[in-house]
Amino acid sequence: MKKLSLFILFLFLFSCRTMPAINPPDDSTDKNLFSCPDPFLKEGYRFIHAIEYRTAGHPGNSMIGVTVADPVLRSLSCAIMTAEGMVLFEAETASDGIKISRAIPPFDSEAFAENMIDDIELIFMKPEGNLRNIGYLADGSKDCRYREENGSVTDVIENKFDGMEIKRYSSSGELKRHVLLNKTTNPYQSIELLADETFDYSLLMDLIEAQPVKKQTFKRK
Amino acid sequence: MLIRAYRKLFLLIFILAGIFFIDGGPSYGAVSDFDHLRAESTRIKTLQADFVQKKFMKILSKPLISEGCFFYVAPDSFRWEYYKPLKSIAIAHKNKTKRYIYSRGKLVEDKMGGAQAMNIVLSEVSGWMSGRFDQNPSFRATIHKNADTRITLTPAGRSMTGMIEKIEITLSPKSETVKSIKIFEGSDNVTQINFNNVKLNTVVHPSVFQDVP
Repeated sequence: MKKLSLFILFLFLFSCRTMPAINPPDDSTDKNLFSCPDPFLKEGYRFIHAIEYRTAGHPGNSMIGVTVADPVLRSLSCAIMTAEGMVLFEAETASDGIKISRAIPPFDSEAFAENMIDDIELIFMKPEGNLRNIGYLADGSKDCRYREENGSVTDVIENKFDGMEIKRYSSSGELKRHVLLNKTTNPYQSIELLADETFDYSLLMDLIEAQPVKKQTFKRK
Repeated sequence: MLIRAYRKLFLLIFILAGIFFIDGGPSYGAVSDFDHLRAESTRIKTLQADFVQKKFMKILSKPLISEGCFFYVAPDSFRWEYYKPLKSIAIAHKNKTKRYIYSRGKLVEDKMGGAQAMNIVLSEVSGWMSGRFDQNPSFRATIHKNADTRITLTPAGRSMTGMIEKIEITLSPKSETVKSIKIFEGSDNVTQINFNNVKLNTVVHPSVFQDVP
């Protein structure tokens, strides 16, 4: 009995961390009416969030995050500062990659900057990849699956009760990021991101301020 | 690594605390000005003030406003608190230093090195507390007296490299209190703190320095 329980638990964990099957819409009518969940920005916005950052085995730390995102140009600028206002990290996407203007340890690694920009892009920008599958998950949630150029896969999920979710899988099908968006009129009011890395981390983001912006920046390549 | 950042952060906080001990007054020569500050600092027993902090950055279209308060009781009890937008409290009292941050709806003690850094910094800032502005090895202090008195602090060594370019403190000529502080972290990254409701040598309740439950 104990072995059976462990097996069920393993199956459950495994199923949560790998790509689930998407059942296509039942008939052509449903297929025609099917619309993909789209919580992403439609215009440039500036967000200020209170961010709680947690790493596995360590207590959290709270910071203030500023994000400027333009979905048309797919440009991003971001900054992290302490509650006291000291800027720990500031970067923006540029024509030739990420331009870091300030990075204080432990936020001074290239990997951190890359991950941070990727996380922000995942949260705020519609996936760039090709739409490969649409349909429903086993629990009835609506799911649209995009395959990116690098082989990774992004699922954008809408659950009737739990709000929107974004899941990023590696090219080998392993769940690397899981974003939960608030089920309110503003999906960016409250955001939770869970990251599977060498050192797992999570971000809890609560909106302080949001305002539309028009800003000329460069697309990251 | 984060401890290093926090160490600098709290050094900054205590610099701000120390700044309150600057007192406007008659103009002296460069050396006498600092002697005057040291003499004036001895009369300060308690101090409290509210503050409004404006953060100017290129990424912000308008400054990010923070509000908070500050308490000091001689010789070495501090509380530096932000009410919003993100609550945090730093308390130093009886050789113990703690920092609290807002997490999941409540204030929790920061275990990431902030308090540890404060302990290190306390030894550095003891000089500030007794008005020895020109004797802290971390900063060079100069005084400029025009309509307002302005004190400029510039990092003396490499410890602040990449973090703080300079700090400008403007004193009100009439009330002899600090009017504003500008911290330049970079050319387009400035923090301005305006103090108000400053109370000198009034009773500060001991609970201000107690642990946050």
